[in-house]
Amino acid sequence: MELPRGPCLLAFCASQPRLEEAFRAELRGLGAPLLALWPSGGILLGADDEPIHVPPQPELWRLHGAGSAALTAVLLDDRHRVRLRREAPEAEATLLAAVREAGRAVRSAPRGVGRRELLVNSLAVALGIAVLQACASSRPRLATGVASAGPGVIDVNLIVNGEKRTLSVEPRVVLLDALRENLGLTGAKKGCDMGQCGACTVLVEGQRVNSCLKLVAQLEGASVTTIEGLARGAELHPMQQAFLDEDALQCGYCTPGQILSAVALLQEGKPADDDEIRERMSGNLCRCGAYPNILAAIKSVAGMGH
Amino acid sequence: MRLFTFQRAAEVSEAIAAAPGAAFLAGGTNLVDLMKIEVLNPERVLDISRLQLREIAVRDGGLQIGALASNTAVAEHEEVRRRAPALSEALLSGASPQLRNSATVGGNLMQRTRCAYYRDLATRCNKRQPGTGCDAIGGWTRMHAILGTSESCIAAHPSDMCVALYALDAAVRVRGPSGERELPVSDLHLLPGDHPEMEFALGPSDLIVSVRVPLNDLAARSRYVKVRDRQSYAFALASCAAAVQAPGGVVRLARFALGGVGTKPWRVPQAESWMQGRPASRETFTRAAEMALQGARPHRDNAFKVELAKRTAVRALMLSAGAQA
Repeated sequence: MELPRGPCLLAFCASQPRLEEAFRAELRGLGAPLLALWPSGGILLGADDEPIHVPPQPELWRLHGAGSAALTAVLLDDRHRVRLRREAPEAEATLLAAVREAGRAVRSAPRGVGRRELLVNSLAVALGIAVLQACASSRPRLATGVASAGPGVIDVNLIVNGEKRTLSVEPRVVLLDALRENLGLTGAKKGCDMGQCGACTVLVEGQRVNSCLKLVAQLEGASVTTIEGLARGAELHPMQQAFLDEDALQCGYCTPGQILSAVALLQEGKPADDDEIRERMSGNLCRCGAYPNILAAIKSVAGMGH
Repeated sequence: MRLFTFQRAAEVSEAIAAAPGAAFLAGGTNLVDLMKIEVLNPERVLDISRLQLREIAVRDGGLQIGALASNTAVAEHEEVRRRAPALSEALLSGASPQLRNSATVGGNLMQRTRCAYYRDLATRCNKRQPGTGCDAIGGWTRMHAILGTSESCIAAHPSDMCVALYALDAAVRVRGPSGERELPVSDLHLLPGDHPEMEFALGPSDLIVSVRVPLNDLAARSRYVKVRDRQSYAFALASCAAAVQAPGGVVRLARFALGGVGTKPWRVPQAESWMQGRPASRETFTRAAEMALQGARPHRDNAFKVELAKRTAVRALMLSAGAQA
């Protein structure tokens, strides 16, 4: 079959989706056609026209490698090049969310912007987000299916920066992700995510650890200090102040980990010399190479002079 | 990371009863890492970190270290530093302070190889997927073993601590359903042979509860030397834990174990006994090191390890003997 001219959204669905009137209204508002296909047939929803039923399109399924997920969505630009291809565990709500969000973005855009490009961009962003959300909300279902003998989400109590917090997380969630995603504490950074760079360093029970390798499930009752908990009100921790004074950073991504590691280092014992500081800070990598000033900051707090 | 059931054991007996089919989780620095990259995919994870196995004590002429003592706690322990310095030095030469705070002695004994192919699901690996082949052989082998290898596996053993424990003649206490037993640490790790997936001489319900290090004059003289691609925070290209007793410049007793070069920490008793009665000299140590490296089978990128390991051993033996390096 011939695809409609201009940008177009293809939706390969494992079974015939119910695209209700609400969905069609969103689609009309957006002004982009959708070709929804399922194994035994399909439907073309134009911007203005009545729906057109189409026969099965096996060559399109093959061309876009569709069929393994509940939804494979493919966004074609005005020259029918693939702009985005995403798979989701659910079709109807995902498509509705994508079309609704794209419509909102298109309507709120200033006039004068190239309409077709705006449409494609908005749809790409909205589709990406909708698919992510669909994947995220389908996880608990997987949990009960796979780990039948055990709990899906469990509750864990932590004391984070002096405050009691209860987290509801799957056992596979590591402290770094829980801090960032569940508690909104984004100071601990995800660098390598495999215990090698130290950007995720936090203090657990006063000891520095790589939060990317700590399962939250293990930490019931533990107290955690992140970079957000270091200052006393408006007064920075001396190590934070020293990092500013000594200009001990460039991009700043490794800095929260560097500071917490340095705080712990001095708590563990005063270093004898520069080399000992370097060795004991070896678990914190700085891709910008701000090491000389990091060293200077630590020395100034340790009272080691320059 | 795949989904799993999480369980927590409050007692050792509880842990052993629940063990079959589960992965013991202590510090997590190795297991969680391997679960994240889906090399290890246990369906059940049994948290043992709350068991009362953290004690470090001197008892009956030996150092007894609980399996859950952290690398930091052992390395910084005054008795360890004074009476088994190689153990402290080896621990401090490994990983980073953050990792050492979490990592435990039991976990370190069970540490998996850092072979890049083992860790890469896109490659073939007999250790990860028995019978599929080995992409390390014929691949990039700078970090791989030259001793104890087989046609199936050339993965190097990664631990520093174990190298020191081998040289110190440590023993591992294991508790299982039928009670407690002790085995020499050198019997804990298996050579790859045709079954590199079988790595430990442990049953499915066995839990390491402690490590015993004999304390004597030899242990007090022990030293650890590690050579790596950067000055800190890297796995060994070659390392050596050595202990030499040489009153009057003549070797009475000597032991050494090599790291970074074997599929397990490498010890050659014949090379050690050969030194007895000979002068504690560079010549003696060099000859012993050569004996230890006999049978080395380097691959494309690691032929340098033969000479590097010898020199590392000589350096460690000289240090321990108090000779001029």
